[in-house]
Amino acid sequence: MIQVLKSFLVLVILFSPLQSFSAESVKFRHVLSIYLDEKGSGMKQPEGVAWDGKSLLMVADTGNGRLLQFTVQDRTVKGGKEIKIAQLLYPIGVEVNSKGEIFALDGRQRRIIRLSPEGEYKGYLQPEGIPSPSAFVPKSFKIDSRDNIYILDIFSARVLVLAPDGKYQRHVEFPKDFGFFSDLVIDFRGNILLIDCIKKMVFSEQKDFRGFSPLTKSLREYLNFPTSILADNKGTIYIVDENGGGIVILGQDGSYLGRQLTMGWNEGMLYYPSQMRTNEKGEVFIADRGNSRVQIFTFVK
Amino acid sequence: MKLSAKILFLFILSMSLLVLSTVYAQNKFKLKPDAKGKLCLNCHEDFKDKLKNPFVHTPVKEGNCSECHNPHAASHGKLLDEDANKVCAKCHDNILPKDPKSIHKVVMEGNCVKCHDPHASNNKFVLLKPGNGLCVECHKDIGNAIAKVKFKHNPVEKGCMNCHDPHASAKSDNLLKSDLVSLCTSCHKTDSPAFARQHVNYPVATTNCSSCHDPHGSDKGGILFENVHTPVANKQCGQCHEASSSPTPFKTKRAGYELCLGCHSKTMNEAFDKNRIHWPLVDKTGCLNCHEPHASKEKKLLLGDSKTLCGKCHPDTMEFQGKLAEKEKQENAAAKGKVIKGALTHNPIQEGQCEACHASHASDNAFLLKEPKIIELCGTCHDWSKHTSHPMGDKVADSRNKNLKMDCLSCHRSHGTGNRYIIPFPKVTDLCVQCHKQLKR
Repeated sequence: MIQVLKSFLVLVILFSPLQSFSAESVKFRHVLSIYLDEKGSGMKQPEGVAWDGKSLLMVADTGNGRLLQFTVQDRTVKGGKEIKIAQLLYPIGVEVNSKGEIFALDGRQRRIIRLSPEGEYKGYLQPEGIPSPSAFVPKSFKIDSRDNIYILDIFSARVLVLAPDGKYQRHVEFPKDFGFFSDLVIDFRGNILLIDCIKKMVFSEQKDFRGFSPLTKSLREYLNFPTSILADNKGTIYIVDENGGGIVILGQDGSYLGRQLTMGWNEGMLYYPSQMRTNEKGEVFIADRGNSRVQIFTFVK
Repeated sequence: MKLSAKILFLFILSMSLLVLSTVYAQNKFKLKPDAKGKLCLNCHEDFKDKLKNPFVHTPVKEGNCSECHNPHAASHGKLLDEDANKVCAKCHDNILPKDPKSIHKVVMEGNCVKCHDPHASNNKFVLLKPGNGLCVECHKDIGNAIAKVKFKHNPVEKGCMNCHDPHASAKSDNLLKSDLVSLCTSCHKTDSPAFARQHVNYPVATTNCSSCHDPHGSDKGGILFENVHTPVANKQCGQCHEASSSPTPFKTKRAGYELCLGCHSKTMNEAFDKNRIHWPLVDKTGCLNCHEPHASKEKKLLLGDSKTLCGKCHPDTMEFQGKLAEKEKQENAAAKGKVIKGALTHNPIQEGQCEACHASHASDNAFLLKEPKIIELCGTCHDWSKHTSHPMGDKVADSRNKNLKMDCLSCHRSHGTGNRYIIPFPKVTDLCVQCHKQLKR
């Protein structure tokens, strides 16, 4: 028994500094900012960014009612091809699946549009076989590594999980006591995380209970108005604080690890940012809406 | 036997200590017999009249001035033995029920003297004023409304304490003595035919009466709130709810905004035709996030004034406004009449007029702004051409960012920053040199 206690004590002593080191170690370094498309036309209040896992960066250039395709390699950005179609009037979110298909959420119609990798219109995402109520309003959506589609359905207070072809797989009801969910993400374990912008809390899916439970307490002392959430492949959670112009970083257990970036106009600063993405190379893409640009950062350890 | 003797000895010892400590506590200042309050009154003569009041605080009556005051010296005002907001709790420690649902703010603050005279008064419970007069001193708006309303609620006339507990409520919000339904049905017979007829046979006996009725009285018959939803006024409950005979009579015919769409199609279609919708409008609660379905004292059947209503979901913005107002007050007070240039706060936000800039349902613009261009939006109140000669507009690029054009928000932040002129820097020059770098020193 004493041996077990001693081992436990040694582990605690060994790992405590490591944990606090990791808490201090996540920092962002500004690499570059993207302002223009390939024809030299400026972005206007972009709200969404997506990464295809290789080199494609998709931007929902919301104010201009279009999507932009960039390639990012070796910290240089090329392209900026415009995808502008009649069915997509006001893109507020964008996703790319493993086949390169593009999905965009239209703020005006509150519908998800499916496009080919080349940007051709393929139709609206029409979920098949969703249980009553059949009406749904997508506030946000995400696609996981298996191309399953997760829709934050605020009208029926649930997360709808669809197969890549749009067939209903399952749904998870929102928890009983919540404020307003503004975004969702799928973490490295396949769990759904929700960000509540009013209660300023993160909720995580409890697969055993088929529901959500709080992962964090209120984060009001760390942020102002959280609008989107991201989880990287190590489980670290990033929350975009729109009104506070910063990014709050949490451990996979919801513990607060730190806050990065600040409000402003200069490069490296954010002004009402709306969404963030990371990739396996440690690059960070932020839709810096108020500054009408996308900024690229790298993690510095 | 030995053990019993020891126990007996310990018992006697502890009892003696108890008696001694009680005696000490009762006369901790070793006052001479018969000294007590009489001694104090030798100097505090005006107190003699006070003590003629019919209701005298027990320690005062007993002459135990030293229950609350220290006759020699104290760290608290009026030679109080304890902090003024803690001294009452020395004896009255059972004022609050266990796990109260609501507590009167003054009780929470320990500000008992707001309502009670600590020595004596003409009123029961040594209250400063009799009846509702005391309550409406703070709750002025309610007091004014009660005085003016055409249709008065009898229990309110008789006294606030008919429904409210002045200290705290163990059972309900708003210091109500019990839950709202029990309170109302303790007077109103819900099984009478007249009651059923008035409520179109809907079994409302267990529902929230204050969803329609103003318990403090109203100018509307049936003490309904000032603004009544037309179907309610016309007793057309079935427009929204299932039939009164249904097993679920209160269930609405449709969910969320879809219920309201039938009558308010113009408003809804206008909203749905915009680029951006205020998301709560299309969630499960829909329109009821902001509007009362039955009746409200606010116009447009709003749940509250804009400050409260918008602050419900945007507390960060509202809390910040509170801090700015406090800072402005402190700085102005410190200036002692000298005018400080530049406002710290933006009036519409301070006054809760969020709709001066934002559209509450939907808009084509970011942040649900009413106008696409900031200059035009600010121009609805400010004549910017008189305000500044700085080049602004669509043709003037912001030198910090080629995608931004110069407008009012290039220099100001509409919700305030904590700096004068609501600019993001403490000094104006710090702001200017952001663009005019050559002038930086």
